Amino acid sequence: MKTIKQIIAASTVALTSALSVLPAHATLGSCSEAIVLGTTISETGPFSTLADRWRKMTEVFAEEFNKGGGVLVKSCNKKLPIKFVIYDDQSVPATAVALFEKMATVDKVDFFVGPDWSSLGGPVPPVAEKHKIPMVMANVATPSVYDRGLKYIWGTPFPVVPNWSARYFEMIGKVSPKPQTIFFITHDNPVMKGITATWSKKAEEQGLKVLGNETFSPELKDFTALIAKVRAAKADIIYLSSYDNASVPLVQQMRQLKVRAMDVHHTMLTGALHRQVGKDIEGMTGELSWYPGVKGDYSDLVETVMKRADVSMFDYIWTLGRLTSYLTMIQAIEKAGVVDREKVKEALFKATVKSPAGDVTFDERGFPNTGAFTVQMNGGKVNVVWPPEVATGKLVWPSPTWK
Amino acid sequence: MKHGMSRTAGWLTGGAGVLALAVLPFVGNAYITTIAFTVLIAYILGQSWDWVAGEMGYVNLGHYCFYGIGAYAFSIALVGQWPLVVAIGFAVLITALAALVISVPLFRLHGDYFAFGTLALLPLMEVLAYNLTPVTNGADGIVLPVEQVLKPAYLISLGVCVLTFIVTLRINAARFGYALKSIRNDEQVAETVGVRIAPVKRRVLMLSAGFGAVAGALQAWQMSYIDPATVFGLNVALVPVAMVLFAGSGLRWGPLVGVLVLATLQQWLLVSVKGFQATLYGLIVLLIGRFMPGGFLRARWVRRVPLLSALAREHHEYMGESDAQAALQVAKDGTAVALPLPRIQPESGKPLIELQNVCMQFGGNVAVNDVSLSIRQGEIVGLIGPNGSGKTTLFNCISRVYTPTGGRVMFAGQDLSQASRDEIARLGVGRTYQIPRPFGDLTVQENIAIPLMFNEAPLSPRDAMREARSFIEYAELSHRLRDRADSLSVQERKALEFARALACKPRLLLVDEVASGLTPVEVQRFVEHIRHVRDRYGITVIWVEHIFSALEKVVDRVIVLEQGSLIADGPLSQVVKDERVLSTYLGSAAQASTKTKAQKSPQRAEGVV
Amino acid sequence: MEVLLQVLIGGVLLGGLYALVAFGLSLIYGVVRILNFAHGTLLAVSGVLASLAYASWQLHPLLIAVLLAPLLFVCAYGYYQVLLRPLSKRNHFESTVGTVLVTVGTLMILSDLTAKAAGATQRNIPLRLEALEFGEIVISTTQLLILLGIALLTVVMHLILTCTWFGRAVRAVTQDPVGAQICGVQSTRMKALTFAFGSATVAVAAVLYVLSFPVDPYMGFGLTVKAFTIIVVGGVGNLPGALLAGIFLGVAEGLTGLYWKPEWAPALSVVLMLLILVAFPKGVGVKA
Repeated sequence: MKTIKQIIAASTVALTSALSVLPAHATLGSCSEAIVLGTTISETGPFSTLADRWRKMTEVFAEEFNKGGGVLVKSCNKKLPIKFVIYDDQSVPATAVALFEKMATVDKVDFFVGPDWSSLGGPVPPVAEKHKIPMVMANVATPSVYDRGLKYIWGTPFPVVPNWSARYFEMIGKVSPKPQTIFFITHDNPVMKGITATWSKKAEEQGLKVLGNETFSPELKDFTALIAKVRAAKADIIYLSSYDNASVPLVQQMRQLKVRAMDVHHTMLTGALHRQVGKDIEGMTGELSWYPGVKGDYSDLVETVMKRADVSMFDYIWTLGRLTSYLTMIQAIEKAGVVDREKVKEALFKATVKSPAGDVTFDERGFPNTGAFTVQMNGGKVNVVWPPEVATGKLVWPSPTWK
Repeated sequence: MKHGMSRTAGWLTGGAGVLALAVLPFVGNAYITTIAFTVLIAYILGQSWDWVAGEMGYVNLGHYCFYGIGAYAFSIALVGQWPLVVAIGFAVLITALAALVISVPLFRLHGDYFAFGTLALLPLMEVLAYNLTPVTNGADGIVLPVEQVLKPAYLISLGVCVLTFIVTLRINAARFGYALKSIRNDEQVAETVGVRIAPVKRRVLMLSAGFGAVAGALQAWQMSYIDPATVFGLNVALVPVAMVLFAGSGLRWGPLVGVLVLATLQQWLLVSVKGFQATLYGLIVLLIGRFMPGGFLRARWVRRVPLLSALAREHHEYMGESDAQAALQVAKDGTAVALPLPRIQPESGKPLIELQNVCMQFGGNVAVNDVSLSIRQGEIVGLIGPNGSGKTTLFNCISRVYTPTGGRVMFAGQDLSQASRDEIARLGVGRTYQIPRPFGDLTVQENIAIPLMFNEAPLSPRDAMREARSFIEYAELSHRLRDRADSLSVQERKALEFARALACKPRLLLVDEVASGLTPVEVQRFVEHIRHVRDRYGITVIWVEHIFSALEKVVDRVIVLEQGSLIADGPLSQVVKDERVLSTYLGSAAQASTKTKAQKSPQRAEGVV
Repeated sequence: MEVLLQVLIGGVLLGGLYALVAFGLSLIYGVVRILNFAHGTLLAVSGVLASLAYASWQLHPLLIAVLLAPLLFVCAYGYYQVLLRPLSKRNHFESTVGTVLVTVGTLMILSDLTAKAAGATQRNIPLRLEALEFGEIVISTTQLLILLGIALLTVVMHLILTCTWFGRAVRAVTQDPVGAQICGVQSTRMKALTFAFGSATVAVAAVLYVLSFPVDPYMGFGLTVKAFTIIVVGGVGNLPGALLAGIFLGVAEGLTGLYWKPEWAPALSVVLMLLILVAFPKGVGVKA
């Protein structure tokens, strides 16, 4: 009997204390406290390969931004600093959901930014919706996630699929010799397959003949069969629609098997790819959401933050999406003029915000119209080559070493 | 007395706990509810895994597959506008069917190979989910309509948790549970005492799959989105397994405690510790594995902490009888214990068991070579021969541990070639093994009770335990009633083995070298037992033995094997003088000397083949 | 025709790499009977270390392997003695469960510490040799070297196991630890040495692996599953069998990609393994 009493006593204490844990939080609408933005970052787990330096970067962003005083809140007639609450979602959706619930109910943050990735961008938004907290997701690019009639979510994936290769195709419409044929190789991933679906159609509209589309699984290591088909097709442009890491063996084997083309275009040309394939990357074109040297709104802030946090855009190509989600929320608060969730939600609806890569406009679903710049690897350096107004280097056509 | 009080108190606490949990979503915040929800799901997964692993001993590392298949089936149904309950039911059905299909190839594997095979299922399912795009939407995943379902999902999963716990209790109190436990200990022996192992394995896998599917469906519902990596990912697949193993697999409270402790720990690490959470978590798992591998509830220090020791009780400690029942006297039959065995009358004319040209060949090695013999009901027949002559193999042919490569075994007029091992046991063939093979982690009482639960007239576990006591008394093991069988001495194990064979209520008892290693007094006791079971109950006995002094007191006749062939069959006194027998045992010199003796004496050695 | 040939060659070369991954595991499981779930993670982490060594100090990959192997040998020996050997003294159930928990905990710790220390991004050793060309057929030199390397390793191991006292002692311990002890073999020492040696081969495997493919700290478990597949198909403890099984799988995956669809290739190895296990429940070559 004594034991039973002990159990009941212990569990009552545990339950009550769990329920009463309420750490200090910001009160909305106040003009004296920092604006708290809650987010999770995939610091561990499979997605951490894309994001492991972002915690530091986020903290540095807050520091740098607050140096200018913070967010201008008209109704308070002053600038309020921003503060981040950051948790590690471990790349596990259930964990992310629990953490966002915590931030909503226990930490009581003001607004949400992030998370990234479709796996998390599916389950997490309903939490924001339930608590009526505006959320600007970062790198969540799957359109179906925005199609669910949720009113409190936006996203800043850079770039979005419909705009992904817009500048590239613009470019190849203007180069000479003109390419006639194109072959797609696609990584089995929703974003990449979406890109291929959209851009193979646009390629045809532009007059290019699509000679084939081969899909490969994320774990594939031996591409001999696939490359054999590509070589047989002898297309002018080979369009690699893939995540950088998944394509490392593919690029290496394409070189070994002496694949030839006017250009080999990669939808995710990154520092990680460069480091792993070395010289094989030479001459390839790709897209980047932005690159230091391209001037735009907030570009100085972004450059400083990235330098201090030692994050290279070429290595962590999703960084602009992440940082723009912060910039979007800040601009929304400034536009609303008051630290109020409903007003900020209204301010975000179909808003246009500024970013280092240009203006970003959200449609009624919260889906943006972000795009990318075309880049080319020349002499081991990455150059922005299109549009010519912001280019940091000259395009070499046809691609050297591939012809 | 103490038992009964704890039981009521236990139920009250349990009920209070469930009530507290049910109220949680209404009084607590959404964060606590979400955490509690993941704990509930983990419990459903962990406990359903433990039915196959802890109870039956098959470590299914791919259990998460059932979670994933359930999640997908549910999501597809829900997107197709089916009502919630139908969608969940659909998920359970599909997953159970998948379990049924996969069980056929999978249960051909045992031990580590079973673990490999099941582990490999996860990446296979992930590829299927990625590639069967028309059905699963491939890498895009399935987006479910967004409804704020945390509270209903939580409450339903709480209900399922309670159900899972109740199912665990029911399994352990039922014959099904004992079938599982006997398989865990020794599958082959389980079959020869009458347990039908194939249907049992299938059923437990399907049951486990069904509950795993519900966990997947409920979590998919709450998250409103699934994709292949989320539900089949290797990074989360072993988590429920680790949680159960952490506290103690096969214990009543093991899965629950393990899930609670590790899930809480994980959450705490996540929000309180900056960096190195995975390292700390992994370190804790590692240390438990190194120092308390049975789970921390089985560690010795736990016995001293009152609350924990209550949680650490093994299932069989709940099955024991109360002191009042234990005090009941066993029925006596004169001075001997009365066994609840039928008295078999010998049928004249027809032999009970007949071997017709039985051959058993392993590759090039002929272990049993064209052996024919016939034994009548009520005979005690000794089976002798040098080591390696095929005696145990012959036993194995009769009880179908091996299938003879040639010839027929007829038992009571029935050809055994069509019968399975458990059918043969139920027809009335019981046996002991040369090296005793008790069900090690079960008590003496449970060991005897199991055959009683699975023979021709099966008893419920309670009745079987009660009836087992007579056999245990007969074997003079009453003082070890509630001890685990693997804690017995060799002699006690042989007695247990014998009693268990009797508990199969056999017409034919195959006794394999039960006397070796025993003192003369103990040998004499066995001889008495063998004579007694034949005289009193009419059981036919075939006894393999090397100790002739034991045999000669009780056998009617003797059969001699040499290198797989039958070389003599007749009364002991005759057989020991047979030339071939002598040369087999003693070498030709002895044979020669006997011949000389025979020539000198008027008696002639007769060999009967 | 050339395409088929190219695919077959590619499959054989890839198979060599698979066999490499499984090699140490086959040895360890065959002798010590330990289900080491951390095997793949050890390879991935060693690969990260190797690529770091290359990037920071420009060491030749051969040198890296030579330095890494003894390091892993010593660490693995200690690991076995402290964490795994005491478990073998317990009953079967506890020793199996204990090994699972210890190795799973190890893989979590290794992944996390490596990611913290070296970052979680993928890395490799971007050293590439010119490929050999025969007409239309191109053969990757790196992978050819790997194949030769693994074949050599297999031959050497086979010779050691059959012709030296040490090898005979190892095989004796596999078949009958007690009997081997009676004959003067220190069974536990032998097991520890084999475990250490198997782990040391992982160092070599890791260096060769990152010359071809990238690694990150979290990919280990997938490699472990692949390795288990191979040792089952090839027969546990059968080193030449593992090589053949790896090649068989490599070629089968290549052909799947050529004649059917590349996205089904990874599923193939699992299906093959299951089919083989169904036909030979104790692995190829052993009757049920």
